[in-house]
Amino acid sequence: MASYVYCFTHAEHPLALDSLCGVGAEESALRAVRHEGLAAVVSDAPEGLRPKRRDLVAHETVLETLGAAGTVVPLRFGTVAPDDDAVAAELTRGAHRYADLLTRLADHVERNVKGAHQEDALLADLLTGNPELRARNEALRAAGGGSQSERAAFGERVSLAVEQRRVRDAAYVVAALRPFAQLDRHAPPVEGCFVNVSFLIPSGAQDDFDAVAAQLRTAMDGYAELRVSGALPPYSFVDAVEANV
Amino acid sequence: MTIMSQPPAAAGGGGGSAAGALYDVIELILDRGLVIDVFVRVSIVGIELLTIDARVVVASIDTYLRFAEACGRLDLTGGRQPVGLPAIVGQITENSAERRVRGALTGAGRAIADTIQDIVTPDGRD
Repeated sequence: MASYVYCFTHAEHPLALDSLCGVGAEESALRAVRHEGLAAVVSDAPEGLRPKRRDLVAHETVLETLGAAGTVVPLRFGTVAPDDDAVAAELTRGAHRYADLLTRLADHVERNVKGAHQEDALLADLLTGNPELRARNEALRAAGGGSQSERAAFGERVSLAVEQRRVRDAAYVVAALRPFAQLDRHAPPVEGCFVNVSFLIPSGAQDDFDAVAAQLRTAMDGYAELRVSGALPPYSFVDAVEANV
Repeated sequence: MTIMSQPPAAAGGGGGSAAGALYDVIELILDRGLVIDVFVRVSIVGIELLTIDARVVVASIDTYLRFAEACGRLDLTGGRQPVGLPAIVGQITENSAERRVRGALTGAGRAIADTIQDIVTPDGRD
C-alpha cells in the first residue's frame, strides 16, 4: 500500500502519533518509519487524494503538532511513496542531508506575514499626496467621469502609483521584521496582498517578532491589514537553509 | 462519511492555528515544503486558482477603470488625514538594530517568489 509522507524528524522525537489523524476521508492512523537515526511520519495513502480542506488541515495539523514537540522537516502536501520500504530507502539515501537539515532548522519556527491594503484608504492617501493625480481626479469628476479612454489613462497612472506603494510598503514590512529572523523568503503572491513573506525565527525571538508585528499592525490600522500566521513548520526554508551550506 | 475531529495542537508549543487560519497558509502547504524527487505528488489539477501574479491584476484595463471609478467615489474634502505609513518606522528600525538576532545564515534566503502554480480546493466537502 502506498504511503503518504508528512515529515522527517529525528528518531528521538517523541512522536505522539496516537492522537493524530492522517489525510483522507477515512480516519487514517499515523506511523513512524525509523531508519538511520531518522524517522518519517507516514499514513496509508488514500485513493484519489485531492487537496480538500479536510486533507490540508490534516496535513497541517500533523506538522504543527509534531513541530511543536521537536524539529521536523515538512514535506510538501501530497507526497506519496510506493510503500514504507521506499520511505526507509529514502531515509538511507538522504540520511546525511536530512540530519543536516534537522540540525539547521532546530529551535526555529516559521512565521508568515501577509499584508493587504484597504483600497479606499490607499487611494485616498495617494491622491492626497499627489496634487496632479488629485486634480485629474477632480477634473474627471467635474466632467461626469470623462470618456472611457480618459478614465483608463487616469486609472493607469493610479495603478502605477499603487504598484509603487505596494513595493514600498512590502519593503517596509520586511525591513521592520527582518532583524528578528534568521532568514526571510517571499511566499507565492496571493491575491489582494502587497506582501506575502515568511520568516525563519529562532524560537527565543518569537516574542520580539510578535511585538514588532503588533506595532506594525497598529501603525497600519485603517490603511492596511497585516496577518501573521505561525508558529508554522519551516515550510519555506527546507531549501533555503541548504543553499547556505 | 466520517468527519474527522482534529485534535488540538500540543499545548504550549505555539501551534493551534491549523484549522482556523488554514486559508492564510494554503499556498505554503501546497507550494513549499520538501520535495522528494523519487516520490510522486498527488495531482492538484482542476481546482480553483488561489494565488495569482499580482502584477497581472494591476496592469490591466479593467483594473485601470476600476481604480478610476474608485477614485471618483472618494471624498477627499473632509480634511481627512493622510494615513500612509507611520512614524514608528524609525523607532522600529532602531529597536531592531539593537535586538538583532541574525546569525550566520543571514542573507541566504532571499529567493524571489516562484512562478505562480498554486491551486487549491476552496471547499472541503466531498
